Amino acid sequence: MRRSSLLAESLAIVCKELASELRQRVALSAIGLFAITTLIAVAYQIGPYSLAENDRPFLLSALLWIILFFASMAGLARVFVKEEDAHTAKTLRLAARPHAVLLGKLVFNLLLLLALEVVVVPLYCGLMGLRIEGVLGLVLVMLAGGATLSISATFVAALIARASGSNTLFPILALPLLLPLLVAAIAGTRAAVGSPELGAVLPALRAISSLGGVTMVTALLLFPVVWRD
Amino acid sequence: MTKDALKAVLPWVLGLWLAGVTVAGLLWAPAAAGFHGDSFRIVFFHVPQAWVAVLAFCVNLVASIRYLRTRAPLDDARAAAAARLGMLFAILATVTGSIFAKLEWGMFWNWDPRETSIVILLLIYAAYFALRQAVVDEERRASLAAAFAIFAFVTMPFLIFVIPRVYSSLHPNLVEATQGAVRFKMDPGMRLVLFSALAGFTGLFAWLYSFEVRLARVLAARHSREEA
Repeated sequence: MRRSSLLAESLAIVCKELASELRQRVALSAIGLFAITTLIAVAYQIGPYSLAENDRPFLLSALLWIILFFASMAGLARVFVKEEDAHTAKTLRLAARPHAVLLGKLVFNLLLLLALEVVVVPLYCGLMGLRIEGVLGLVLVMLAGGATLSISATFVAALIARASGSNTLFPILALPLLLPLLVAAIAGTRAAVGSPELGAVLPALRAISSLGGVTMVTALLLFPVVWRD
Repeated sequence: MTKDALKAVLPWVLGLWLAGVTVAGLLWAPAAAGFHGDSFRIVFFHVPQAWVAVLAFCVNLVASIRYLRTRAPLDDARAAAAARLGMLFAILATVTGSIFAKLEWGMFWNWDPRETSIVILLLIYAAYFALRQAVVDEERRASLAAAFAIFAFVTMPFLIFVIPRVYSSLHPNLVEATQGAVRFKMDPGMRLVLFSALAGFTGLFAWLYSFEVRLARVLAARHSREEA
């Protein structure tokens, strides 16, 4: 029998997740609707005119990341929770090696988050009247922030899927781990809003990337324990 | 002196040491410039508490790694004991820090980066215990808690060292690094009391930790007797 590569197994899991999500659209609906509802609530209460000009870059950057963070909390845990709920986790353990499962689920969560960002960020900028000076900087912060958020969220999802009351546990465990990311991502978004120079977002990008790198390596080392025990 | 006699004497020595540090910190240490009244004296208690909170987090990490290697329930008990004590000292550091903030800056809480870091450390400890409570199976609880503890530890450098240095902080710095040399910004008398307090609080942590581990050993022995 031909032994499949880690990449092939990971891609197979991404395809499985995409097929499953396109069939049911549970995570997409949860994340999307949560984000849109929060966005409407924020836009209705604050809108483009009620903040002082000096406060706008920081407050609007913070609000954007709070919307993205809590929307992601509504759906990113599903990748592992649904396997335990449907009793398919054991089959998955037999079918693929742990790292392929982690990478496949992580890539799926990243795609989900990027789809969310593609919809929410332009909508947010339009509704709140937020003018972005450094579009490329913002795109890079969103990509790096999304990737780092997916890594931590996917690992925590694997942890809580094996505990009782997993849906309430997810934000409790994820929030303290993701706060350093939120601080750096808000700083990066604020810098992109205020400056067209790519150099303005570099300190935040460095912080986000290093956090992402460290958490990725740790997640790869620990995931077999979480998945098999 | 036998080992048992030494064990009996050590808590008394520790008690006397901490009492001496308290008296020296409140009455003997020279006044520090730039602070309101005697508010600086809280440093002799606040800094050691914050140090022990972080030390406990490191002990929790080591015990968690050991558990994943050995799968011995006692290592899991060690990790949980360190986390319990770490949480206690983190709460104490937060309270004493808030008192200092009120005296110096007029507010109990200012969302200073250092204050935020200790709150996040508290949240991590709380999440660790929430995870432990949510898993019924003992072995699975131990391995998931160990994995979470290790994962949470890698974010700590960003909380403790990066964020407080990226954002401007009101928090006084006790150490100054200039041109490659590290210098303590305090009077030698203050430094002596502070280092004595650090040693005393570290000893207190070690004593409480050994107490918790002994208790875990006794409970495990009783559990195995009941099962037999």
